[in-house]
Amino acid sequence: MSINAWPYQLELDATERIDAEVLVLGGGVAGCMAAIAAARAGRKVVLVEKDATKRSGAGGTGCDHWESAATNPCSRVSPEELTQAMLDDNEGYNNGISHYIECREGYDRLLEIEAMGGKIRDSDDEFKGAGFRDEATKFLFAYDYRNRFTLRIWGTSFKPAMRSELDRLGVRVIDRVMVTSLLTEGGITGGRCIGATGIHTRTGKFYVFSGRVSVMCMSRPARVWLFSAELPGLCEFRPTQCIGDGHAMGWKAGAEFTMMEKSVGAEFSAAGRSYPPYGAGNNHNTWYPADLIDAKGRTVPWADRDGRVLTDVSERFQPAPGQKFFMKGGSIDDPHHEIAGPETVGAAKLLEEGYALPFYADLSQLPELERKVIWGMMIGEEGKTRVPIYENYRAAGFDPERHVLQCYGTGWTSASFLPQERQLFGLPGGFVNDWRLRTSLSGLYAAGDSLFASNCFGHAAATGAYAGRHAAAEAATSAPIEPDSAQVEAERRRVQSPLSGNPEEGVGWKELNMGIAKTMQTYCGDPKRDELLSIGLARLDDYAQRVVPVGFAHNPHELTRLLEVFDILAVAQLILRSCLARRTSSKALCFTRTDSLELDPPRDRRFITIRQGAKGEVELGSLPLDYYGDLKAGYEAANADYARRAR
Amino acid sequence: MKDDNGPFAAEMPAARPIRFDRSKCIGCHACLEACQADVFVPGEKRGPGQPPVALFPGECWYCGACVMECPSKGAIALVHPLINQAHWVEKKKLTGG
Ligand SMILES: Cc1cc2nc3c(=O)[nH]c(=O)nc-3n(C[C@H](O)[C@H](O)[C@H](O)COP(=O)(O)OP(=O)(O)OC[C@H]3O[C@@H](n4cnc5c(N)ncnc54)[C@H](O)[C@@H]3O)c2cc1C
Ligand code: SF4
Ligand code: SF4
Repeated sequence: MSINAWPYQLELDATERIDAEVLVLGGGVAGCMAAIAAARAGRKVVLVEKDATKRSGAGGTGCDHWESAATNPCSRVSPEELTQAMLDDNEGYNNGISHYIECREGYDRLLEIEAMGGKIRDSDDEFKGAGFRDEATKFLFAYDYRNRFTLRIWGTSFKPAMRSELDRLGVRVIDRVMVTSLLTEGGITGGRCIGATGIHTRTGKFYVFSGRVSVMCMSRPARVWLFSAELPGLCEFRPTQCIGDGHAMGWKAGAEFTMMEKSVGAEFSAAGRSYPPYGAGNNHNTWYPADLIDAKGRTVPWADRDGRVLTDVSERFQPAPGQKFFMKGGSIDDPHHEIAGPETVGAAKLLEEGYALPFYADLSQLPELERKVIWGMMIGEEGKTRVPIYENYRAAGFDPERHVLQCYGTGWTSASFLPQERQLFGLPGGFVNDWRLRTSLSGLYAAGDSLFASNCFGHAAATGAYAGRHAAAEAATSAPIEPDSAQVEAERRRVQSPLSGNPEEGVGWKELNMGIAKTMQTYCGDPKRDELLSIGLARLDDYAQRVVPVGFAHNPHELTRLLEVFDILAVAQLILRSCLARRTSSKALCFTRTDSLELDPPRDRRFITIRQGAKGEVELGSLPLDYYGDLKAGYEAANADYARRAR
Repeated sequence: MKDDNGPFAAEMPAARPIRFDRSKCIGCHACLEACQADVFVPGEKRGPGQPPVALFPGECWYCGACVMECPSKGAIALVHPLINQAHWVEKKKLTGG
């Protein structure tokens, strides 16, 4: 190790063995809810989190919208209708199972979080009389005030409430341990998942976890195309340490993935082109439906999906004539006509009509309660807004009644990107799941954004609890299996060797991450073709063989970052292999080939699945887009008890 | 923390997200324990007026958890780098009103 001092006591020679009935991997929203559900079912639960569970993950500092609460008493849309709309909006390339669980059980989870101490109602009557408030329940709704299935919530209170509940239920929470691999029965790729290994991010201590059943909750990959060595924490939308470790270890263990060929043109990178999320002018998401004004102070008109100009603010919250409901939110990018909601006229048209750049978001003319709910509640309760936006902007003098906030780019993204700058945003690929949220690897369940085509807080909470419940049931009847010592020892060597390398010859995490990102931009940008993808894959294989063995870290913190980049490399290889496997272009998958003239031919309208076989060979498979069958019937068959209790 | 630079000064980072007011800091390390990017490490001394060291400033996600968990108001502040400081104007200036 280097001459630099390290403030924590190193424990490189120590190993700690921890046994669980249900082992939860990742302590974000899904992981906390999974652990809570499994503990309620009476199982001995261990939760392993890379950082600090109280505020870790994408939703740790807040969340202002809870989407798809179709069973709340004010909703006028059924879980079936809402899920079907999400499926249709993505031409079927969506997770019918997980989104149905979100729609069907999300509201139950909201009540459960309230019972833990989370705030979900306007109990202080701050918004009494507002059009978005239900006076009986004191719920506040967003977007479609007629159909009322998206709630405004006080999300800063949610993760601390979950953290206390974990303690109350006796869950053993192990913070600051990075899970590094899944253990399989007999050490065989594709064998039953029987636990995991980990390393302490401050001391370097090695951990061996055995779990009768495990639940994967490490969210989705990032930093695959976008990287900034100066500001790595800002180069993606999601937290610094959430980069897809779970996908990498699942792939290595032999689990099946789908939709990994899907990436979208980058939408967000505050190390590069974007401004802070929710901190620049826009009228989407948290800022819906702020007025936009141009450089000369002229207000931009709003229109419904059919181009009918809306003259009153109240019309921005109503479906168009003849439309049942409209949808907005984290996973709705370019909606189909069926669910498209009100929008301001597009930027290109506005410039043609003489509106002048730049545009600004203007809350000053909104009805008072609409302004107050955006600036003060939503900005304040949304992730990453309480301190950096609400408190800091106010301290610098921002007053929403007097000031207007500049927009950069169009929409909420506050930036325009180059075609090769891509991201796993919205509904990207992930673990394949069945109706119990089991992955293809026996003994391993998955929840939250680690599942394919998954997104959002309520979805993570609902699928987390659901996976925890089913995992607990399986754990109750399964016996523990002893980890394979050769597999454990090989992993110990892999994760610890960068600390004893030679710094003069070593390659650090930033150099490798930058190399991967540039390779992906060069060979897996937009559009794609086989020659490029194959060269890209060869480059990454070369990194794996030549660079990974000389990866160097000064201390356990840097080691964590380096192990993350090794995982990013595995994910990038998985993405390239998945791209090679899809032979034609697909609109819904944002996947364009120049070496095929076909767009979405019927034979390719399917989920292409990919996994690693026992000898490291790539196994491709296929699932019909509706592989999960009838939503209601599929759900009820797997959840007879729960469905009966809920009734 | 010593650096590898011998007698030479370390390079200035591209951003300095965290600013402490030592006069208000009680040295409790709630900020360090809350951070999910593990940006901080304990300093050489521990106690009132001794906040942790923001050793990995580039890894900050700018979430504000450290400030939210600090029990001593004003002891720690989060500051966006220049490239992320958004601009606003008085509406009157645009409308000429
Ligand atoms: C700024 C922001 C605002 C958002 N606002 C909303 C909103 O208003 N409404 C909404 O519905 N959604 C919102 N989202 C999305 C929502 O927060 C996520 O979809 C949700 O948190 C996903 O839950 P998850 O449990 O799958 O992942 P996360 O909550 O991100 O948790 C993943 C956890 O896994 C841990 N982890 C990762 N790797 C490892 C490892 N190797 N070992 C151990 N632990 C590991 C991480 O530290 C983290 O704690 C927002 C997201 C962001 C970033
Ligand atoms: S803002 Fe968030 S990521 Fe940055 S130091 Fe504070 S807690 Fe850590
Ligand atoms: S949480 Fe606040 S008071 Fe405690 S060490 Fe950090 S800055 Fe100081």
